[in-house]
Amino acid sequence: MNVMTQLPVGATHVAALRAEMPHAVLEERRQTADQITVTVKLESLPEAVAYLYYRRGGWLSVVVGNDERSIDGTFGVYYVLSMEEEDRCYLVVHAKVPEGKEEFPSVTPKVPACVWGEREIRDMYGLVPVGLPDARRLVLPDDWPEGLHPLRKDAMDHRFRPAPTADDETYSFVNDSDRETTVVPLGPLHITSDEPGHFRLFVDGEDIVDADYRMFYVHRGMEKVAETRMGYDEVTFLADRVCGICGYAHSVAYATSVENALGIDVPIRGQAIRAILLEVERLHSHLLNLGLACHFVGFDTGFMQFFRIREKSMMLAEMLTGNRKTYAINLIGGVRRDILGEQSSRTLATVRELRDDVTRLVDMLVSTANVEGRVKGVGILDPQIARDYSPVGPLVRGSGHRRDTRVLHAFQGYRLTGLDINTGDGCDVLSRTLVRVNEVFDSISLIEALLADTPAGPILTEDFTYVPYKFALGFTEAPRGEDIHWSMTGDNQKLHRWRCRASTYANWPVLRYMLRGNTVSDAPLIVASIDPCYSCTDRVTVVDVKKATQKTVPYKEMERYCRDRTASPLK
Amino acid sequence: MFKLIKEIFRSGEATVKYPFAPLPMEKDLRGKPEHTPEQCIACAACTIACPPNAIGMTTDVEAATRTWSIDYGRCVFCGRCEEVCPTDAIRLSQEFELAVAKREDLVMKAVFRLARCEACDTPFAVAKEVAYVQEVVAASAPTPDEAEQRRRLAATCPACKRAHDVRQPAAFGVARRLEETRR
Repeated sequence: MNVMTQLPVGATHVAALRAEMPHAVLEERRQTADQITVTVKLESLPEAVAYLYYRRGGWLSVVVGNDERSIDGTFGVYYVLSMEEEDRCYLVVHAKVPEGKEEFPSVTPKVPACVWGEREIRDMYGLVPVGLPDARRLVLPDDWPEGLHPLRKDAMDHRFRPAPTADDETYSFVNDSDRETTVVPLGPLHITSDEPGHFRLFVDGEDIVDADYRMFYVHRGMEKVAETRMGYDEVTFLADRVCGICGYAHSVAYATSVENALGIDVPIRGQAIRAILLEVERLHSHLLNLGLACHFVGFDTGFMQFFRIREKSMMLAEMLTGNRKTYAINLIGGVRRDILGEQSSRTLATVRELRDDVTRLVDMLVSTANVEGRVKGVGILDPQIARDYSPVGPLVRGSGHRRDTRVLHAFQGYRLTGLDINTGDGCDVLSRTLVRVNEVFDSISLIEALLADTPAGPILTEDFTYVPYKFALGFTEAPRGEDIHWSMTGDNQKLHRWRCRASTYANWPVLRYMLRGNTVSDAPLIVASIDPCYSCTDRVTVVDVKKATQKTVPYKEMERYCRDRTASPLK
Repeated sequence: MFKLIKEIFRSGEATVKYPFAPLPMEKDLRGKPEHTPEQCIACAACTIACPPNAIGMTTDVEAATRTWSIDYGRCVFCGRCEEVCPTDAIRLSQEFELAVAKREDLVMKAVFRLARCEACDTPFAVAKEVAYVQEVVAASAPTPDEAEQRRRLAATCPACKRAHDVRQPAAFGVARRLEETRR
């Protein structure tokens, strides 16, 4: 018998870390069978994370900041690593930042994937990552008051809150017209786009030399709302609203994080129902993205056809949960609705129909002239860049990495099924699209298998006691990749901290590398291929590096140019 | 190209006639919550369960009324109110067309009369809730006398109950007896 199998999951990584850095590890805490938090000395933080990341097969999931001054007088920084090679587990590297000396050594120079997480901690907690090259704000707007850090427990008290923003627009837009013009603001908040962002493409003629972008124009402060206003058992309904497309994945991730923290065992049938609904959500999301892929290459008939069959998956959700999109079906401890006999047989009939429909449409898509020419070799994500930045979902699978939370860290109903990881090695838009096509078929098979095999039984347990100051991770594989939540319970039945990391958050940092070397007309297509909830390029500023000119192109015009590829807006 | 044209002919008409014809809906759709004040006892279970605080209650002691209200503009149609209601007074309907001209029109209210305390005559709880509790506690009483006793207890305000709890042991003379034992 293998000696290794007798050790608890993840123990080899902790032992290796202790051997590599003998005096760094201060404490080791286990949250669940496969989640370990190791506390390291603050000065050893970068080396510890880098060692686990590059030498033990770790990928960065999320960086969490936490105001723990009320518990032990420190701020906590948590680097969550998903260990994906041997001895798979979640290993969290924790370090304490003392109050009064609010800085920590930046990990980003060693592990580039930490860049957004550390910039966010600086904005939200005022902890300074020493050595972080990027000094810009990430989340807070430019006119936000200095020294006000929203997620600190003593900040944002409504009685002392300063006016958060100025009324004046501080950003200057270039207008080259020599006549009098009327200003029509369009963006960054575009009415059709739920996730606005401002893009800057640096071009030489038609070729993209570099790209930069800004997000968080509509930061909704959900984490603060959950921590201050809502009970821990109500946040599942808020988590449903994190995303308009993959909200259920967030709801499950949140519920799982609290269940893991409190040691709640969800009944088998409840777990299976969660997995079925996650797959229903994946169906509608992937069909939406396949439709959009058609739209962006100018094949609008295909777009209409994919959206026509997507409607079947929406009706499926309405039948099983009572709503087309916000399912609102999770409670801490299980789900609220069972899948009854009639619903089960109608679901089976619908997914069977969907399998035929998708087969025909994909056949039609690949046999349509010019489609392959537009998507092959476009938007290359180099596998090494992917390794450095830890992107997730079909994006990273399209570059040949085997990363799928459903398989690597099987959770909920996925423990009951066998599933394989779909990967592609083209690293381009085509490769990602084909990964999604294969996943649609996998989802259909999974739904069929789960409906057939799930034993009858309870769907919800209420047999647990709420304990404050327990924390754990919850995770799901959303259609766009791993969603990960870190929750710490607090007193008064409210969360002390809820960190919710959506999958696209992990995918944005690699986008600039994918845009480099492509033409402007391919930019919307590349952005759409990471499947942000809606292509967020509602406004694009183009800077010609040779002529040193700047021009702002409305999103509609960029999209039109991407489809038609005539009458360049840059001329 | 041939496959595409074949697919277009196969799919036929994909659109529906809505809004010119009613939209077919699943029978379990979670739509607008409908409140039946006749059934409601204003126990406040739904106000506690409601995640977005769409349901609330305010008490007017002067007028001896308690007002239950729901703001459909805040409602997220989760149906927690329906789950926790002990008297089936709130149910989710299939209605989803909630647009109104004014925001205030999204708020629905129901006013309940408060019962007065048997002992001190101050209004303390909704009359229907007191009546409901009286029925429940009296039904399980072993004797008619005990039932009557429990009815009166249910109709007493918490302040009077507390005062009563202090006075009653005093009447037994526990303190005096303790003194005597000590001697």
